[in-house]
Amino acid sequence: MATTYIRGKQVEPEMEAPHHDVAPMSLYWKVFGALLVLTCLTVAVSYADLGKASLAVAMVVAVVKSTFVVMYFMHLKGDDRTFTFIFLSTLVFVGIFFGLTFADLSTRDAVNSEWGYHGWANEKGQIIERTAPAHGEGGHEAAAGHEAAPTEGHPSPEAAPTH
Amino acid sequence: MTTTTAPHGGAAPPHGHDHDHPSFLAHHFDTPAQQEASAKMGMWVFLATEILMFSGLFLAYAIARWAYPEMVLEAHHHLSIPMGGVNTVVLITSSFTVAVGVRAAKIDNQKLLQWMLLATIFLAGCFLVVKYFEYSAKFEHGLLPGRFYTADYIAKDLTVPSPLGGPHTFFGIYFLMTGLHGVHVVLGMCVMTWIYLRARRGEFGPHFFTPVENVGLYWHLVDLVWIFLFPLLYLVK
Repeated sequence: MATTYIRGKQVEPEMEAPHHDVAPMSLYWKVFGALLVLTCLTVAVSYADLGKASLAVAMVVAVVKSTFVVMYFMHLKGDDRTFTFIFLSTLVFVGIFFGLTFADLSTRDAVNSEWGYHGWANEKGQIIERTAPAHGEGGHEAAAGHEAAPTEGHPSPEAAPTH
Repeated sequence: MTTTTAPHGGAAPPHGHDHDHPSFLAHHFDTPAQQEASAKMGMWVFLATEILMFSGLFLAYAIARWAYPEMVLEAHHHLSIPMGGVNTVVLITSSFTVAVGVRAAKIDNQKLLQWMLLATIFLAGCFLVVKYFEYSAKFEHGLLPGRFYTADYIAKDLTVPSPLGGPHTFFGIYFLMTGLHGVHVVLGMCVMTWIYLRARRGEFGPHFFTPVENVGLYWHLVDLVWIFLFPLLYLVK
């Protein structure tokens, strides 16, 4: 290979030919086996009646599976840390996305009732009074004397008269 | 990055075409290491955009589930856990084969690399066949998004609080999420075929396998998305 220069300096031989660690085949088999076991586990758990905890359990199993895939199949472990930074910062932004959305959704009823709004605007800006009963979560609103409080915030399709 | 200095700054020595850099090294890179690091970083940034794109659909799912928990719980019983489970195993296996393929390129095992790429393409095809049967069953029963929903199914004690709270919303989300994921599987098969043809020409080896690795990264992401889709859509309680 020809001598290569960066900014007039000769590059070191290790930069010429990137060094690659080759993980042993046994590691790939182990990760594969773990993923299969965890898949069986998540299916089995879904048949068990765990109530509210089942979502949390399923997500924990999925996160563990993903960690295996990302660290060993995608080689984030042992690879340049820049890639880990890109990946983790993406997850931070996903967290912001979910966090702000649910902060809005979960406080909207309280804010609306505080301001005296019991409906929502359709696409023409007309206020649609809410009449349909809300499902279980709206109980505290009804107790406060309102007819029914919206527990979800989907404006136009609900109000569309053609529906 | 492993190479940190700017390639075009400063006084570089004359760089003609008469020297012998390896055929896979593009002219605008100084070293193979720099080229590999750049390509992989580009791939990871692309994967970041993919994650963010899918996160919008996951958020739609979360909102539907938050607003209409009973509806989502009822509607998901129409999805086949065996079919979803088989597809999960198929995708995990394909992730394994493509990872072994990248390893084969690293150790210059050309036959194994080609077989692993073929196996991955085959497994992706299996996934799509199962998906075809699943979609056909949904079409047949009218379990479709929005106004296309024609199934008369509504659970006995399920009160639908609003026009959006019906099972057609769940199937809208189901078809969008699995559909976008399916498009990724199809594209993965196409790119994998291209990489296979290049591998047959002997283009990859211990010194150059970045395309194999990047396609592998993409494929693992497709697997990752399914790892979350499967419990959320098929197994919710």
